[in-house]
Amino acid sequence: MKKSIQGIIKILLILILSLSVGAIFILAIGENPLVAYTALIKGAFGTKLGLGTTIAGFTPLLLTSIAFAVAAQAGAFNVGVEGEVILGGITAAYIGINWGFLPVPALYIACFLGAMIVAGLWAFIPAYLRAYYNVSEVCVTILMNTVALYIGSYLVSGPMSAGTANPQSDPVLVTLPKIMKPSAANVGLFIAIIIVVLVVFMIYKTKWGYKIRAVGQNPFNADYVGISSKKVFINAMILSGMLGGIAGCIEVLGVHGYYLDNFAKDLGTNGMLSALIVRSDMLFTPFIAFFIAVLKSGAMAMQQSTNVPKSIVDTVSAVFIIIATMEFVIEFRKRSKLNKMAKGGNK
Amino acid sequence: MSILESVGKVFNLSLIYATFRASTPLIYAALCAAITQQANILNIGTEGIMLVGAFSAVAVSYFTGSWILGVLVAMCMGALISMIMAVGHIKYNSEICAIGMGINLFAIAITKFLLQTIFNTNGVFASPDIVPIPRIHIGIFDKIGVLNSLFNDWCFTEWFVIIFIFLLQFVFYKTVWGLRLRAVGQLPQAAQTAGIKVNKIKYQAMLISGMIGGLAGAHLSLGYSAQFVENMTNSRGFMGVAAMYFGGANPILTSIGCLLFGFSDSVGARLQAYGYPAQFVLMMPYIVTVIVLAVSMYIKLSSSKKRQSSLVNN
Repeated sequence: MKKSIQGIIKILLILILSLSVGAIFILAIGENPLVAYTALIKGAFGTKLGLGTTIAGFTPLLLTSIAFAVAAQAGAFNVGVEGEVILGGITAAYIGINWGFLPVPALYIACFLGAMIVAGLWAFIPAYLRAYYNVSEVCVTILMNTVALYIGSYLVSGPMSAGTANPQSDPVLVTLPKIMKPSAANVGLFIAIIIVVLVVFMIYKTKWGYKIRAVGQNPFNADYVGISSKKVFINAMILSGMLGGIAGCIEVLGVHGYYLDNFAKDLGTNGMLSALIVRSDMLFTPFIAFFIAVLKSGAMAMQQSTNVPKSIVDTVSAVFIIIATMEFVIEFRKRSKLNKMAKGGNK
Repeated sequence: MSILESVGKVFNLSLIYATFRASTPLIYAALCAAITQQANILNIGTEGIMLVGAFSAVAVSYFTGSWILGVLVAMCMGALISMIMAVGHIKYNSEICAIGMGINLFAIAITKFLLQTIFNTNGVFASPDIVPIPRIHIGIFDKIGVLNSLFNDWCFTEWFVIIFIFLLQFVFYKTVWGLRLRAVGQLPQAAQTAGIKVNKIKYQAMLISGMIGGLAGAHLSLGYSAQFVENMTNSRGFMGVAAMYFGGANPILTSIGCLLFGFSDSVGARLQAYGYPAQFVLMMPYIVTVIVLAVSMYIKLSSSKKRQSSLVNN
């Protein structure tokens, strides 16, 4: 318990630090950081539309951040969540448009299952290459993101095109009901929460999850005690891909109602960002994901009401990660404690 | 007949320069990753270093009218960014992938921010006031058709990269510093026992890597083109890292990997004219990179396994 409180204090300290770095940038372009940050908070929570947009943005981030964190538990650095979201989305769109012969509840399930299978298979490729041929999964997943983007873009402007000027598909037959009109927030939020709770439970309370964590901490030790580290690694990556696929499915069925080219822009990156800030601690990751969603949805309002461009938000969150990956805050606290002990000993 | 004709149009003499032209930014990026890899640091931040370099080169060249100053400032900014990574990784124990991705996101965000605040544009910044890196025109080659199409009007940094590859090869394998660098990368404890200051070498490697990365960016924005586009590196940094893996951080082998990726890129660009969907053409270099990387790692792994088993048999 004490450890988690320390963790929270650390995150808050870094938050203040990175917000002040952002404030310096805002001051440098001659604006008032307090006004800008207030506008941001107001934009994210002030109106029903703002709050709904925040929640709609939070839903996929929750899944993508947990997707990254699950892979990280097994020691993988899965930058490919974005590609998995894209392929999950296009699969859900394909099934949602063409499989009208299924009764409605089965069609929902088919969409989600299809998205999970395709995205899981996509994640299997880098996982297999890493586990058996030691190919850097960071490199492969990043390059495969671009490939996935072009696959989606090709399908939606070619075979699956609705014939509109914008590259998008026909509307899907089933959609997830909206919960806060006129915003895009939808029932997907509850699906995401249930899935994330299940995944966190699986990782921390089941034998299967224990294996993943064991492999992440020390693959050689895991092999030694009879856990096949390669298979577990691949399993974790597939699970991570499936979570990305679900995020894509929810975006297509819930937010848009059709497949829109480039709909997954930054979803994977921001999820990765949320997980990296807390070093893929699965209990804290959802809260950071929410915080990032607030920043993103408030940024637009900030840009409209002040002269601060919304890219400042991305800068602040990048600084947040850079500082958060370093261990100096903990070290500093330890050192001050040691100093105290040393002083106490002298007395 | 028509197929033969179009094959001839795709694979002709100018393809050689097109390949080299597409490869040069990748080679710089790969060398940026290679030097830290020799010290066993995976420089995932190559992409971010390049992007910051590209932006500062364009900005300085625009305001001062000097491409040399632009390149120098880009190298300094690259070094600055890589030092942030170095301090985080070496002193404060950051996981290198995590801080590297942080640097990449930071680079995208800060260049976008500065583009909006300094130049008041979104997306693309191009201006006739940007002075590009000059192209070297060799008068003698004008009369000889083959040499003219092959070697004339190369960008200064394109000539330089050839020298640079061999220079780095020499530094890595023929100098004391290179030996120390590789010793640090292979077994830091042994290096330390031998009296090598491990962290100092690592900082030096990161510093030089940052400067190369900055140069890579400057070449991309001032040599390869004469403009700055948001996220203009477009995963070239990661392709460089992939090529580095392909060549095992050996500068010459790494550059060969880059040429392979550059070749697929320029062939793809020509195929687009023959009615292949743009997306397939655009994704080709990425797929080729992944496949080449996987095959080369597979070969490396099986050859090292063979070596191990022969040791046991002896």
